[in-house]
Amino acid sequence: MKALAIAGSNLRRFARERANVFFVLILPMLLILVLGSVFGRGFEPRVGLVAPETGDLTQALVDELEAHEGFALHRHSDRETVVRAVERGELEAGLILPPDYDAAIRAGDAVEIDFIARPGQASLSLRRTIDTLLAEQMMLPRIAAFAAAEGAAPFDQALARAATVTADTDGVHVESTVAGDSGISRRNWGQFDLGAQQQLMLFMFLTSLAGSAALVQTRRLGIARRMFATPTTVRTILLGEGLGRFGVALVQGVYIMLGTMVVFGVRWGDPLGAILIVLTFGLVGSGAAMLMGALFSNDQQAAPVGVFLGLGAAALGGCMLPLYVMELFAPAVWTAAHVMPHAWALEAFEVLAIHDGGVGDVLPFLGILLGYAAGFYVLAIWRLRAVLTR
Amino acid sequence: MLECRDLRKSFGELAAVDGVSFHIAAGETYGLLGPNGAGKTTSISMAVGLMQRDGGQVLVDGEPLDPGTTRLKAKIGLVPQDLALYPDLTARENLRFFGRLYDMPRARLSRRVDEVLEIIGLSDRANDRADTFSGGMKRRLNIGIGLLHAPRLLVLDEPTVGVDPQSRNAILESIEQLGSEGLAVLYTTHYMEEAERLCDRIGIIDRGQIKAEGTRRELAQILSQHDRVRLSATGPLHEGAEALRRIAGVQQVDVTDGAIDVLVEQAGNSLMAILSALEQSGVSITGVEIDEPNLEAVFLHLTGRSLRD
Repeated sequence: MKALAIAGSNLRRFARERANVFFVLILPMLLILVLGSVFGRGFEPRVGLVAPETGDLTQALVDELEAHEGFALHRHSDRETVVRAVERGELEAGLILPPDYDAAIRAGDAVEIDFIARPGQASLSLRRTIDTLLAEQMMLPRIAAFAAAEGAAPFDQALARAATVTADTDGVHVESTVAGDSGISRRNWGQFDLGAQQQLMLFMFLTSLAGSAALVQTRRLGIARRMFATPTTVRTILLGEGLGRFGVALVQGVYIMLGTMVVFGVRWGDPLGAILIVLTFGLVGSGAAMLMGALFSNDQQAAPVGVFLGLGAAALGGCMLPLYVMELFAPAVWTAAHVMPHAWALEAFEVLAIHDGGVGDVLPFLGILLGYAAGFYVLAIWRLRAVLTR
Repeated sequence: MLECRDLRKSFGELAAVDGVSFHIAAGETYGLLGPNGAGKTTSISMAVGLMQRDGGQVLVDGEPLDPGTTRLKAKIGLVPQDLALYPDLTARENLRFFGRLYDMPRARLSRRVDEVLEIIGLSDRANDRADTFSGGMKRRLNIGIGLLHAPRLLVLDEPTVGVDPQSRNAILESIEQLGSEGLAVLYTTHYMEEAERLCDRIGIIDRGQIKAEGTRRELAQILSQHDRVRLSATGPLHEGAEALRRIAGVQQVDVTDGAIDVLVEQAGNSLMAILSALEQSGVSITGVEIDEPNLEAVFLHLTGRSLRD
């Protein structure tokens, strides 16, 4: 009962803080709206193409590249523009066709196509995709060029004949099964889903940490000591303060979850699983807030440091750059992201929302999150107990 | 009501409290008088079970009190030196919050909150946030929280620090009233006037030790000091002085320019005899000043430094 009184006073103070109307209610929804609008279509690698010729063979290749779902094709006029765009990260790769592409193929000569990309796993993946496309595209011209060279028929005639023959032939069909996640085209997010998940984690943690200033103030003003002068045990005081912080995190989490469901139609997956993730992440956030509240002695410092740490942890934990993009382009950063509880919570939501998982599927993630929460709380209680009774 | 025996507390090498003992009976106001850093707050923190002791014992109503003893804490109301209240809650919300920590039943708490708001003169500001209050009003609310559960022992740690004279007087009047109603009061201050005005007994504390203890007069007698009566007068001053030396209780008489200084055991007992002797000697009196021994002088004598040091 006393713990609830302490928690209640924390929530009342949280609700009374006018700045929270913007930072807790308006800002998260605004960010989800902006992120969903700008990036909500998912990540699609961009490939620049320079194709000076307008012959049939060039056009056939361009059509094939444009039709591919693994990347978006952007036409450019010259090689320098493409190189610069790749350097700046505006394109993931560039493809430069020679000016005599059609003529060279017809003559049976070797054709050199420039592939421009920055080093990295994603470039290799794109390179393989484009190699395959080119190989398929070049099959008929090579047959036709061979027939023409052997004097069987003129190139165009041979090409048309080869197209007819190969269309009538069953050939070898390769069926691919992807085991695990491969990256680029596996995602199936709703427009606002990923942004909502990221902002949920970011703001639950951030609001908790920023709220740690209230605990520092409670200590600094001597209110916590005064509580201890009443017939109230240290355990009850700490429980009440922890419940208060947990309540703050939950208010933020439930607001974002319900708000995005109603306003943006975000899919959170299995309701029970989603609630459990929010509850456990609320424990993580409140534990971190308790620890900050125990370590800082100046609430004027705690609030900005809390915001800084909250944003930093969120950035590293995958709340700003999606985890799958990290995995694709910077595997080391993806590994480092898992130092943060955010990454585990985001992966748990992915299991629910993308793979239609249930509570059983997210249990390992919940266990890890509970481990974080326990660690934060143990350190905070140890420190606060010492501060209150010394 | 409260008995502290040989309290000890050190912070590293510093012995903040070094063998402090005192007791307070019901209805008594006991003052701990000493400069900042003397060990007053540390002593009362141990006395109310807020701080672990290195040594010593605290008894409340004869029962030992330790930081983990929650039951006995219900008998004590603490008014800390800090304004230990939520600035963003209203006066009523602050009182209700601490009332719940004292396990007060809801109906009694509501009634008591209104009573306390009346006592501290904040009834008309009950629903205003504490951070909109003046310093004096915050101090009064700070005291109100300590009174809320009707404790039997009220412990006030420098409750008038930083308060304007008007609010200070109101606070002191409230404490006098509480003392007269039978509440035991432990009051720490570095203001000599407050200790003299409020306290039945005073412990002079410095460097973690109680240097002397007693009523104001008992403490003054440590100096073997007497009251000094200074009479501004005209006429035959030396003859008048001779007449005064024959009065019982008069210890010393000096004549200076236009005045006679008389040292007596108790000015109140001898003043009428002094005035009458001078009148009979033909001395015309134009002014009378009585200097009683004060605690400042006693403190200076005991510690070698001023209360304001």
